[in-house]
Amino acid sequence: MTEEYDVEFVETGDRKARFLVRGVTPAFANGLRRAMVADVPTMAIDEVRFIENSSVMFDEQLALRLGLVPLTTPPEGEFVDGDTVTLSIDVEGPGTAYSGDLVSSDSLVQPAEDNVPIIDLKDDQRLEAEADALIERGKDHAKHQGGVAVGYRHLQRVEVEGDLPEFEDERSQIVRGVIEDDGELVPTSEFDDDLSNRYPGKEVSVEDVPNAFVFHVETDGSFTVDELVTRAVESLEARATELEEAVQL
Amino acid sequence: MELRVTERTETELSIEIGGEDHTFMNVLKGTLLEHEDIAAATYDVNPEQSGGQTEPILTIKTEPGVDPIDALEEGAGNIRDKTTAFRNAFEAAV
Amino acid sequence: MSYKCSRCKRDVQLDEYGGVRCPYCGHRVLLKERSRDVKEVDAH
Repeated sequence: MTEEYDVEFVETGDRKARFLVRGVTPAFANGLRRAMVADVPTMAIDEVRFIENSSVMFDEQLALRLGLVPLTTPPEGEFVDGDTVTLSIDVEGPGTAYSGDLVSSDSLVQPAEDNVPIIDLKDDQRLEAEADALIERGKDHAKHQGGVAVGYRHLQRVEVEGDLPEFEDERSQIVRGVIEDDGELVPTSEFDDDLSNRYPGKEVSVEDVPNAFVFHVETDGSFTVDELVTRAVESLEARATELEEAVQL
Repeated sequence: MELRVTERTETELSIEIGGEDHTFMNVLKGTLLEHEDIAAATYDVNPEQSGGQTEPILTIKTEPGVDPIDALEEGAGNIRDKTTAFRNAFEAAV
Repeated sequence: MSYKCSRCKRDVQLDEYGGVRCPYCGHRVLLKERSRDVKEVDAH
């Protein structure tokens, strides 16, 4: 069986992208989406050792906040389950401790965002802590979720049926996602999601294009969109391989 | 992935696939249904809170003369074809 | 055990005979200081 897939980018970016996939079944599209959300492992702080915490928050609250800071996740194979990276933070008030104040022992694992506030410190308050980050899957805890806004919609084909009757009022027709107009891909945001803006005075028909899905993928900064999609596909592939081998007994 | 056959006849197979959820099972089921020697394929999972059987169970019925185990193996291979094709198409577009 | 007097803010060491009372100002409300030990917390 040969599969024919075709991928075309509608919007490109490191952390946010939209792309169209043709020839994919709904089952596969959903498997891919779920794998991006729950099965691609990322680094996150999992244990914190507090040396000093004279701030107004409890250690447990700060530990939770530190855990939620997205960390860059090194290329696959670089880390395996159970490997840890130590990060430390030492901030004295007055001032705010930010995620950017975390100092990592490994250049591959850094806060993906420098301006996440951890805690506001007043005079004579201090936060000094050491944390261990480890690599786990979104299934285990939401802080290990690499894909934060991942979804797909059918590609919608718009065809002009003809002119509106002469005395009929223009009615707005809201469509969201990406439309295909004569082979051209147009994000609906370009015409304010309203087909009557793009085709004034025309009667149009809209239909889902079978097996064509527009994915919207946004990451938390752990890795790029390409990286997330590739790793999600690989996680599905690894399971297929495992099943194939297990069945061959 | 722990496999455990729960029922097996010449053209029917029920197999428990430990550690998997809808992510993989639905892809697998969808791919198996595309196979021409497979007459029926489905899977069932119970929620964690239900107690008892919580691992997904895949059930396949094949056309006469086709071993369901072989069909399952081919199905897994077909998923690999899909992932490879997708990855190639995606990398070409990046 | 180290405590701090809530009125005069001085450090107070308590022994088993003295009872709960600040030796400097006689105040009876003492606050326990945070231990200097490193505390390990799960970030869950």
